[in-house]
Amino acid sequence: MNYLWHMLIFISLYSLLSMSLNLVVGYAGLLSLCHAAFYGLGAYSTALLMTRSGWGFFPALLAAMVITALLSSIIAVPSLRLRGDFFVLATLGFQVIVFSLLYNWDNFTNGSYGITGIANPVLFGWSVDTPFRYFLLAGTISVVGLGLMRALALSPFGRVLKAIRENEVAAVALGKNVALLKIVVFAVAAAFAAVSGGIFAAYTQYIDPTSFMLSEALFILSIVIIGGAGNQVGPLIGTVLLVTLPEMLRFLRMPDAIASSLRQVIYGAAIVLLMRFRPQGIQGDYKFD
Amino acid sequence: MFQQLLINAISVGCLYALMAVGFALIYNTSRIFHVAHGAVYTITGYLCYFFLLRLHWGTAVAVVMSILCSAILGAIIEIVIYAPLARKKAPLTVCLLSSVGLYIALSNIVVMIFGSDTKLLRPDIEKVYHFSGIVLTRIQLCQVVVSVCLIGLTLLVLRYTNLGRKMRAVRDNPTLTIIMGVNQRQVRLAVFALGSALAGTAAVLAALDVGVDPNMGMPALLTAAVALIVGGVGSFEGAAVGGLTLGLLQALVIWRISARWTDALTFTVLVLFLLCRPRGLFGIHRRLEEETT
Amino acid sequence: MSEVTIECHRLIKTFGGVRAVDDLSVSFYAGQITALVGPNGAGKTTLFHLISGMVRPDAGEVSYRERRISNLAPWRIARMGIGRLFQDIRIFGHLTVEENILVAFPGQMGENALWAITRPVRVQRQERENIAKANRLLQRIGLEHEARTRAETLSYGQQKLIAIARLIATGADALLLDEPSAGISKENTQIQDILKHLANEGKIVVMIEHDYSIVQKIADQVYRMDAGKMTVLPTAAAKCPM
Repeated sequence: MNYLWHMLIFISLYSLLSMSLNLVVGYAGLLSLCHAAFYGLGAYSTALLMTRSGWGFFPALLAAMVITALLSSIIAVPSLRLRGDFFVLATLGFQVIVFSLLYNWDNFTNGSYGITGIANPVLFGWSVDTPFRYFLLAGTISVVGLGLMRALALSPFGRVLKAIRENEVAAVALGKNVALLKIVVFAVAAAFAAVSGGIFAAYTQYIDPTSFMLSEALFILSIVIIGGAGNQVGPLIGTVLLVTLPEMLRFLRMPDAIASSLRQVIYGAAIVLLMRFRPQGIQGDYKFD
Repeated sequence: MFQQLLINAISVGCLYALMAVGFALIYNTSRIFHVAHGAVYTITGYLCYFFLLRLHWGTAVAVVMSILCSAILGAIIEIVIYAPLARKKAPLTVCLLSSVGLYIALSNIVVMIFGSDTKLLRPDIEKVYHFSGIVLTRIQLCQVVVSVCLIGLTLLVLRYTNLGRKMRAVRDNPTLTIIMGVNQRQVRLAVFALGSALAGTAAVLAALDVGVDPNMGMPALLTAAVALIVGGVGSFEGAAVGGLTLGLLQALVIWRISARWTDALTFTVLVLFLLCRPRGLFGIHRRLEEETT
Repeated sequence: MSEVTIECHRLIKTFGGVRAVDDLSVSFYAGQITALVGPNGAGKTTLFHLISGMVRPDAGEVSYRERRISNLAPWRIARMGIGRLFQDIRIFGHLTVEENILVAFPGQMGENALWAITRPVRVQRQERENIAKANRLLQRIGLEHEARTRAETLSYGQQKLIAIARLIATGADALLLDEPSAGISKENTQIQDILKHLANEGKIVVMIEHDYSIVQKIADQVYRMDAGKMTVLPTAAAKCPM
């Protein structure tokens, strides 16, 4: 039973991650490879505020959202004038640099040893200390987060993002402040990724930088590609599929070491096949053109 | 101390340069960001390990066969993955994502077959040369010599052979080359085969030195990409210079700061170039379509 | 009387040794349709780029409503009221026809991410008003039945109409149209009527046009551009600004 809650918690976390990346990739059309950096910044902000400054979970989570959103402008602003591969490489650079800082800045982040002893969240005296309660917490927060992102996507904000994706020059010619909109979408996506990071930190109660590497960013991107980008359905399908895939493999009685690589072979191959035959993924709107 | 670092930097830089020129061959002509190039690198390294330690072939044979296989692998990838996308006129983003998926799949197949630990190819002690207090291993010497020769050969091919001229023409103006009847398939196959062979050579040279691990491809690919940007997109010589520069920069960081920060520095250099000097050191041939209005 | 005008004063723009626009001075007035004719590569599109801010002049300046706009960002210039129809249309393909028009309306509260979340009621009210306006526009161009269709599936001519409707939706007072009649036959009269109507409403209408019959029919003022320089051509109905 605990195992079920564990799965559902990770589905909640990854639905927030994939849906927020979807805003950047699927709606604004910006191929960002640094989402794990925002995830990590959120996790570390939450963890550090809780363990070093004694903050409670909820204030720390809110602060983590703001901090990560602000830090996202470090990549968003410079990359405004970069196009195509140059933009992708810049986001990649940001991802690697953030990981390197988390891993090597021992005095601040405790480096490769990570941060231990993250306390349980407490809500008005109700302590979140069982998997079921963590599920309630993660589930509720993610439903609210998904609802907010959905509202944004369906609003004129979402529409103008899609216009930028379709034809940026035309959007500029209509008087849209494209630069500001790109900065905003990065900040929003980073904030929601940070929420996921904070919940992750509180759930696992120990974080280290290796959870937030390039491979993680590629995994989140894979969810968006396979499930489909550019609408409110695709990323959710991708999340459920890719998060439960290891479990489905487990039913086939594979040894764990092989299972971990096999699932990556499967979703790597899935991406290749989809790009060839169905670039919009399982249920997406955007074909990456 | 610094001279020792310099020697190490040059040998590492030569490998970076070799990898970068291979990557540049493919990127400059096809504009495909061939992430799977890193997988070709990894697989070639493991093939060499397999030939050497499982099939017990001689070193020379194992090396040559591995590099041959890498060229073939590169050609297969072009035929099976990119050419069909090109026929469909798929956007470059689709090719990039395809390449990412391929990299993930291939790297993990390697893990499934060989496991995820680092494997050494040569358990014996490496022969070393000493002069004026500096230690140079035989493999480092090979790295420098082979890299310089291969890069030189590639640049000669590009400049003086028919095929090389076609490759440069496709780099400059692909549409025009189609109109003028250049066989696109032939050129594409050639750049992928040659580019992959260069990557394969770099992999083998590195493998003989420090061994193989399933994740060796990504850092090699990323360094090649940074070297390409630093040297300038469109320039093959630039890629080689970029690779050497990164090797030297890394040595500087190790000497003055600490080895742990080399990655961060490499990518900071990347971001600085992207923002302040996107055409790199020697970049030319920025196509008009890439100009933003 | 202060009139809405675009004033170009001694504009120079060089690309790699070629003077695309060569010491050019011209003014475009409200209520008039001005046609720019001339061979390809004469610099007409470059002039549009210079006015709309997509390209900075090497020398000279552009003024709109007596305000210098040469160094403003293109999106600001667009907001001030200068709109463009591009030669390659640049429709938002994956968006529906209705969405293409909707996105063009200025001053949408809902485009601000914060307000989209915190003031849903007012955003929704504005949306409803805009949807009504968009559908009226679609009726005007005869495409109201395609409102929910993806724009990329429509014909070139229909897409051009949508692009013009999109331009009208922005409320622009100055419209720069790059070959509005190129590639279409069926919708030609429709577009000409729209342009005449816009001029009568007091807008500045400048069009690059290769089809002289259209120029004859609707242009009030004709300029010829060649190798970056401009000359005035006589026309049947030249109107002088007062």
